[in-house]
Amino acid sequence: MEIGTLIAGILTLAIYTFLYKDNPIYRVAESWLIGLSIGYTLVIFWQTTLVDNLFNPLFDDGKLIMILPLILGLLMFSRFSGKISWMSRIPIAFMIGAGAGVAIPAMLYARTLKQVSASVMPLMGNNGVFNFEALVVVVGLLSTLAYFYFSREHKGVMGKTAKLGTYFLMIFFGTTFGYTVMSRMSTFIGRVDFLLTDFLHLVK
Amino acid sequence: MQTRIPLLVCLISGLIMFAQYFSSHPVAKSIYENVLEWWQIIFAFTLLVGVAAFIKTNLKSISQKKDAPYRTISLLGLVLMPILALIGGTKIDTPFLWVFENMQAPMQATVFSLLAFFVASASYRGFRARSIPASILLVTALIVLIGRVPIAEFISDSIPKVGFWIQNYPSMSARRAILIGIGLGSMTTALRVILGIERTYLRGN
Amino acid sequence: MKTRWIIFAGMFVIVVISYLMSVPFETQPSPEIQKSFDFFESLPESSVVIFSFDHEASSLPEIQPIALVMLRHAFKNKTKVIGLSLFAEGTAIGYRMLNKAANEYGLKYGRDYAFLGFKPQHISAILGIGESIRRVFPEDYLGNSTDTLPIMHGIDNYDHIDMVVTIADGDRPAQWIEYGGANYNQQIMAGLTAAMITSYDPYLASGQLYSVVGGLKGAAEYENLYGKRGSGNRGMLAQTSAHFYVIVLIIIGNIIYFRNRKRQGRG
Repeated sequence: MEIGTLIAGILTLAIYTFLYKDNPIYRVAESWLIGLSIGYTLVIFWQTTLVDNLFNPLFDDGKLIMILPLILGLLMFSRFSGKISWMSRIPIAFMIGAGAGVAIPAMLYARTLKQVSASVMPLMGNNGVFNFEALVVVVGLLSTLAYFYFSREHKGVMGKTAKLGTYFLMIFFGTTFGYTVMSRMSTFIGRVDFLLTDFLHLVK
Repeated sequence: MQTRIPLLVCLISGLIMFAQYFSSHPVAKSIYENVLEWWQIIFAFTLLVGVAAFIKTNLKSISQKKDAPYRTISLLGLVLMPILALIGGTKIDTPFLWVFENMQAPMQATVFSLLAFFVASASYRGFRARSIPASILLVTALIVLIGRVPIAEFISDSIPKVGFWIQNYPSMSARRAILIGIGLGSMTTALRVILGIERTYLRGN
Repeated sequence: MKTRWIIFAGMFVIVVISYLMSVPFETQPSPEIQKSFDFFESLPESSVVIFSFDHEASSLPEIQPIALVMLRHAFKNKTKVIGLSLFAEGTAIGYRMLNKAANEYGLKYGRDYAFLGFKPQHISAILGIGESIRRVFPEDYLGNSTDTLPIMHGIDNYDHIDMVVTIADGDRPAQWIEYGGANYNQQIMAGLTAAMITSYDPYLASGQLYSVVGGLKGAAEYENLYGKRGSGNRGMLAQTSAHFYVIVLIIIGNIIYFRNRKRQGRG
């Protein structure tokens, strides 16, 4: 067995000891994982973004305008100083503003208009057959939106519509739960595959 | 000044990025591409700040002897990865990638796979048909659980079909309502942020 | 012995035994899997597709079968693949999977496929690719200038990309759709963990998402269409057993609940 597989197997079993109860073996593995994850992310961020998009253009290609994002980035570290910590808000404000600016058209088009237009379907097909699914979608959409509309008390017609929306939401949550169980089981089956195939060689 | 400058920066960057959506002028495109690039770079610095804060917090805890062994192990892991990357690079068959594939990835997958056990335990303890909505949730979950395994097709063709119908129509419509609600809320919040009405990112101001 | 340890032990035993038994299943492909498969079948040779590895290592057991079978299919049909990642952990994993699949077909890095690496700000990257992919990725993951890669000749932005396939376990596909799809009319396909499938049903229904290959079952169905079984199919009996185990637990839990409620009603 390769040393890498052996180490992976031991660490996998160390994590599984948590199923019995929290214990030092699990905590050591967890601490090691946290450190490795942060170290890995640091390397990837540094190499793929700071070197490729900042240092190379600035120092190798002489693109002096890149001094500006460098200064903004370094301003982030001012949060560690008491007096000038407010300056770290500047690069944060830049990012938040940019994100908000691009989000408005994206949310309006992709999440609102496109979704509403996709819900507006003819209830009667060209062949004269009633489209039950179109009715289900429209009723489900409107009743769920009614449930989330809290500016008006859920009484009377509004109350009944909101209650119907609750039932549609329960259908959604039930479907999501089913798929979530499926997903979690798949992840565990993947670990079983590793333990039985690569680690213990019980399966070819 | 401590509040006004960041608010002004937010307003300018927000308006620039919003306005470029409506313009294909070369100057507008150039400004847009520069902002996108700077956004990427500044975002990378946030990780460096996070790493510095992590090191600072852990060193403080170690000096106070709070979980010192575990925090030391975390810091060792943090330091190891950049050292390995400096020594051998990050391509295939390097020590950096070896540690990722044989330590980090297996542990991460295993931690996530613990959820399978807790989902099973939660299903036994908490999943009760206490009311009509809960019963609807329960029945739908059971239909999906049965419908999405290969054996369902052997029992009856209808089981997966019913599952798909539920997923594609009633379930989808509820999810769509949530999406539309989130979309409208995100738009409003984005506008409030750009106009300086929403200031939570300024840390309490 | 605590109930939860019994449940945990039962879960472990059932999944391990089912996995050891390994019965092959023939599954009918769902419409979405068939659509995904047909798309790659219909692509002319030397079409260019982006594979974006937007996932964490934690979902690897579910994501890997999906990604591998789709990559193999793309390479089998001589589709050129540009890999990238919008999640840090997806970088190393995606790079490894891309090389693994490409080596099976004797393909050459730089000419038939390339891995551009990772960008942390995903919205900026998605929008930036729409303007200039070179500006976002001036170098590939191995440090080569993007201009020097033969696969990148003539590839400037989404206008030259036939499909973006996002392999994800979270909300990256939504950003691909909302920024890449909405702003640049880029077609998006997703390989997802099962837990995320219902989150993208509205995008599928509206046509904003071309198709989805979801979960281990989706991978198994795709593998059957592709004609070579892999880890997707191997896990199907264990998946079935695990599902029925959870169903039995739910039923037992509810029987105990209603019985106790009845007793409390009498007493």
